[in-house]
Amino acid sequence: MPNRRLLLQCALLLPVAAHAQTAPGEDTWVGLKPMFFEKPIDEAAGYVTLDAPVRAEDAALVPVQLKFPAREKGDRVVAATVIVDENPSPLVTTLRRGADAGAFDFALRLRVNSYSYVRVIAETESGALHMVKAYVKAAGGCSAPASKNPEEAKANIGKMRFRTFAGQGMAEAQAMIRHPNYSGMQMDQLTRMYTPAWYVTQVRVRQGENLLFSMENGISLSEDPTFRFSYLANGQPVRIEAKDSTGAEFGQTFAADGAAY
Amino acid sequence: MTVPPLARAFLTTLTPRPQPLTPHAGRGSRSRPAPKRLSVLLLLAMAWGAVAAPAEPPSYRLDDYLAPVPATLKGQPALDVAQAKALWESGALFLDVLPHAPRPQGLAPDTVFIDKPHVSIKGAFWLPEVGRGELSAHTDTYFRQSLSALTAGDFSRKIVVFCKRDCWMSWNAARRAQVFGYRNILWFSDGIEGWRDAGLPTETIKPYGS
Repeated sequence: MPNRRLLLQCALLLPVAAHAQTAPGEDTWVGLKPMFFEKPIDEAAGYVTLDAPVRAEDAALVPVQLKFPAREKGDRVVAATVIVDENPSPLVTTLRRGADAGAFDFALRLRVNSYSYVRVIAETESGALHMVKAYVKAAGGCSAPASKNPEEAKANIGKMRFRTFAGQGMAEAQAMIRHPNYSGMQMDQLTRMYTPAWYVTQVRVRQGENLLFSMENGISLSEDPTFRFSYLANGQPVRIEAKDSTGAEFGQTFAADGAAY
Repeated sequence: MTVPPLARAFLTTLTPRPQPLTPHAGRGSRSRPAPKRLSVLLLLAMAWGAVAAPAEPPSYRLDDYLAPVPATLKGQPALDVAQAKALWESGALFLDVLPHAPRPQGLAPDTVFIDKPHVSIKGAFWLPEVGRGELSAHTDTYFRQSLSALTAGDFSRKIVVFCKRDCWMSWNAARRAQVFGYRNILWFSDGIEGWRDAGLPTETIKPYGS
């Protein structure tokens, strides 16, 4: 049962006040918003929906799904920023979509350090900002020990997987990048010091020449970054590229059906 | 809503664990068998309607720091809030030992990292990390030197060690200070919550020496 242990470990880093809290407030977000956005943000429906667990099984691996419905030209969502209010480094990722602006689903896994709103701010072609949010009860995701030892993580760094779910009748695919994605808030079990941050900062996935999506990430993305997204095979190979915080670059090309290329 | 810590632990151990929404790649094992045993123990304890504090371990607690703590430190009962207040008024040294994750090394310079304000007992000194089960050489030295400086080398100085309620880090740190030779170590196990709930003075502090 990893969950309880994580909860306990992470709860140590919670501000004490979080205990007595009943209804989650917007105070943190009020302070954060100007750090990331200058324009006003509304909560108009129809641009993006967010599906997140009310209580996460593993705070270091909280599954979150974004759904972007199809919209008229001029009002389409081109980028989405995912923020975890209470994480010391709140910005998880800024996701950018390719030119094909039909409906698009996107799932990722992130770290939640203490009970927090997770929010997604969608930006349209016209520059308007629309937000959705969900409150997630999880704690300790940023400082939870890595699930793999450093040697194992290093040996496999940059390895990738791509699979499609056409066989299960779903127009979806999954990309996985092996990387320890150290948050910099995890204690090294041997040295008893904080392991420096080392994480995937950029991701780009293309289908032939077309960009499916790109991402710019902070330290709040989970270990072995994994994304599931809308995907229709069209015979073109799929290329996954990533760059990490040390400047190392990784890339691999896969056949349209997910087989090794 | 306040759930008693024990009930919280109990609920946590029994809460059904939903499957993730998305299929994920396999991951290494982070699990340990202990909580199952714990839940049985808790069940028994609750059935009797009375829960005894756990016994003192022979050495430092190494993990699962946020859990019910013993009633004593080396056989000496933990301070209650009134006793802690009296010591505070008489000028005892108060040490807060909650951990603190600073801005990570290796984080891109333009990345927002928010160091949240740390609210503690007014006048306390914050020595982060010194209550872990094992210390790095660096933290060990930091703890020794901080104690030496704060007491001006007086090993008989009254020192109150605390963190949060039901947090083993204060027990560890208090025990460790005793091992260093400090003779008047007192343990305030109710910690900042107990202090704040009693309406006693608090303030925002930064790690000692930072």
